Amino acid sequence: MSSWVIGMMLGVSIFLGSIAVVALIWAIKKGQFDDSEHFLNAVKFDGTDDLNDAYEKEQKVKELKEKKKEDLRKKVYKPE
Amino acid sequence: MSDKIPCSHCHLEFSEDVMIRDGEHYFCCNGCQGVFHLLSNEGLDGFYDKLGNNKLAPPSKQYEDSSNFDSPAFYERFVTLNKDGFSEVSLVIEGIHCAACVWLNEKALTNMEGVIATNINYTNNKAKIVWDDDTVKLSKIIDMIRAIGYDAYPYDASLQEQKADKERKEYYTRIAVAVFATMNMMTIMVAQYAGYFSGISENIKHILNIGEWVLATPVLFYSGWPFIRGMYYGMKTKTVNMDTLVATGAILTYIYSIYITITRSGEAYFDSVTMIITFVLVGKFLEVLSKKSIADTLDIMNHHLPNDVKVVVDKKIITKNVNDVNAGEVVIINSGERVALDGEIIHGCGNFDESSITGESEPIFKNVGENIISGTVSIDADVKYRVSKDFAHSTMSNIVALLENAMNNKPKIQQLANKLSEYFSEVILALSFITFIGWYIYSSNFEQSFMISIAVIVIACPCALALATPVATLVGLSIASKRGILFKEAAQLETMANADILLLDKTGTITKGRPEVVKEEIFLSFHKSLLYALLLNSKHPVAKGVEQYIFEDDLDPLELENFQNIPSQGLSAMYDGKMLAGGNAKLMRTIGVDVSSSSENSEFYFAYGGELLAKYELFDMPREDAKEAIEKIKKMGIEIIMLTGDHEKSAKKVAQMVGIEKYEYGLTPQDKAAFIEKLHENGKVSVMAGDGINDILALANSDIAIAMGNGSDIAIEVSDVVLLNDTFSSLHDSFKISKKTFTMIKENLALSFIYNGITIPLAMAGYIIPLIAAISMSISSLIVVGNSMRIKFGYKD
Repeated sequence: MSSWVIGMMLGVSIFLGSIAVVALIWAIKKGQFDDSEHFLNAVKFDGTDDLNDAYEKEQKVKELKEKKKEDLRKKVYKPE
Repeated sequence: MSDKIPCSHCHLEFSEDVMIRDGEHYFCCNGCQGVFHLLSNEGLDGFYDKLGNNKLAPPSKQYEDSSNFDSPAFYERFVTLNKDGFSEVSLVIEGIHCAACVWLNEKALTNMEGVIATNINYTNNKAKIVWDDDTVKLSKIIDMIRAIGYDAYPYDASLQEQKADKERKEYYTRIAVAVFATMNMMTIMVAQYAGYFSGISENIKHILNIGEWVLATPVLFYSGWPFIRGMYYGMKTKTVNMDTLVATGAILTYIYSIYITITRSGEAYFDSVTMIITFVLVGKFLEVLSKKSIADTLDIMNHHLPNDVKVVVDKKIITKNVNDVNAGEVVIINSGERVALDGEIIHGCGNFDESSITGESEPIFKNVGENIISGTVSIDADVKYRVSKDFAHSTMSNIVALLENAMNNKPKIQQLANKLSEYFSEVILALSFITFIGWYIYSSNFEQSFMISIAVIVIACPCALALATPVATLVGLSIASKRGILFKEAAQLETMANADILLLDKTGTITKGRPEVVKEEIFLSFHKSLLYALLLNSKHPVAKGVEQYIFEDDLDPLELENFQNIPSQGLSAMYDGKMLAGGNAKLMRTIGVDVSSSSENSEFYFAYGGELLAKYELFDMPREDAKEAIEKIKKMGIEIIMLTGDHEKSAKKVAQMVGIEKYEYGLTPQDKAAFIEKLHENGKVSVMAGDGINDILALANSDIAIAMGNGSDIAIEVSDVVLLNDTFSSLHDSFKISKKTFTMIKENLALSFIYNGITIPLAMAGYIIPLIAAISMSISSLIVVGNSMRIKFGYKD
């Protein structure tokens, strides 16, 4: 077996493994392991209503954020 | 039972006639009814489907005004602004029983106008709420939580907890990288060792080396960063520590291996780099794992004091924040309320529960002219009193301030392993340098001398040393927790093993904390139901003690009339036209019954129609296993002293009963703390066991604080060790386990030194080949781990 095959296999396996590690670290940083029960219980409360609620909430937060930005802008440019 | 039906909100079952009927629904109280209607109006009745068979506590309705949540002082302390300009607060939500409760809280709050995000932790009920302060005020959010049947109080998340959390997460990621690299490294090493024995082509070996190089780099510079940082700080302060040894060893090995890889000569040691860092990092992480937060304790403590009081101004009652009340103002306290400020009674009288100051559960009767102390609770007293000290100088605020101080300055006893590793690191670095000089003089070959001196550092693997303490303590902790003893930090096992003195609180710790009947004298036979009916109406500990004693199944409480609770004397009522009376000698004399004998125990007389029927003597008895356990602890060479706020007579009696020679009586919380402070000055290591609010200062000041499992929340919070099953024998067990663990730590350290004593001379002589280095490294770590497991076998019984 020529040595470049081994080199390539080594490279590919380390690369694939490191993807998993990066994903794990990303999950830790996002706080997915902070509350073990949250994950289990969230499954119970899953349905169309909850999906709709989540969508509405997203919209609401977006609006509030826009508004806040607008307010801040007004504050900055307001001629005294 | 068929005649009981569940409440539509809380699902607790009651008989139909006591329930409130509302259409097809039944409610046990107005609170439940209110919450139920609120939820259906808000479209949140899906909550009941999710609740399933869980039961709730009915919502209580007494809440203080939520407007203090909007005060600038509150905002300054608890509310932070995030980068988008929204406000954030951390709350502890009380009353959460199940996942449905979390769902309800999250839903109800996010449905509110202006609330951006609600995140409630299922495990510890802590919530983070983000909202737009221009749209909705925090008090409205709190009102919503209360309206749906829960309560919330703030805690300061910005301090210790968040820091500890971040530290833990950082360790997780560093360990994830290190473990990943080590495991991959091992597969490559299989090929390397196979090649070492049966021959391997130079090209393939080179490629494997490069693969190892790729894996070792992130481990050294990312996972190993804490050690490199530690070495840097050590160099700055000119001290040598374990970090120095690990970092120098790993960096030198890494550079050496790169050199080998590039020049294609000899064996690379990239595997040692990753292994050392992974092992030592895991050991370090085990120690960081459990660090308790001081901030939480103080929040609970502050929660115990009321925020505002009723002040009489110009004959009108107004509510004032405690911080705005000055000395000299007149404050009203009603029954059931907690006193916030020290003062002197000017009108009214009644019983106060002073257990938070003295530890005694028996109420104390206070009349005009007597002082009342902040932190105590009025049981049945409605009094007016003149404030003598403002809030900041009142007793309870003083205690909180002292507590904060004590917890921040908790004495730290340096751990044996840390002390030794300092010397160890210095010696190894010196030896490596001597080896280099020696070999250079002997062979004048720079390269060879350098390699051998590095081998000395590499072989002096600190893995075993770093694992010696954490593995032993971890095993110790798991044995302890199986026996209902909870150590909050691993390092405490070692501190406890070195303890000289055990300090014990009396009431609630040595004793059961409630009086029991020790002697019964019946003068005229009577039906027990008569006495039972009378006692049922009182919450006084003596009455409860007698009630427990006489209780039988066939007792039938009789209907009494004209019941009266006479403060500090006893109870009276009318039955069948004649007077029933139960209480102390003073009460008997008032109703004209002649009693003379006075015993050192609490007495309870019972009279009917002016005739004395019975007499009960009560005493707060020591726990059953106290005497035996105290004897065993004494045999370990630990001095035992009892500290109590009680008077001399009962202190002496209890001390004699359990076999304690030394005791101090009549101590205030501050006195107890001062006593421990004095022990510190004499260089003693003290362990304090207590249960009440009056003990917390002493607990916070001692080297190791032990709380009884049924003690007050705050005592448990302050303590380092909690005896969950609330027995005295587990106090003895905790000493035994800590001593055993400490012996184990010493054995582990000795083993790792023996190992180093053999391998370091070999390395200095230049005899270490890579295979031996790798094998000996793993074996030394395995021996340490295996030895620690032995504690488990010693505790089979």
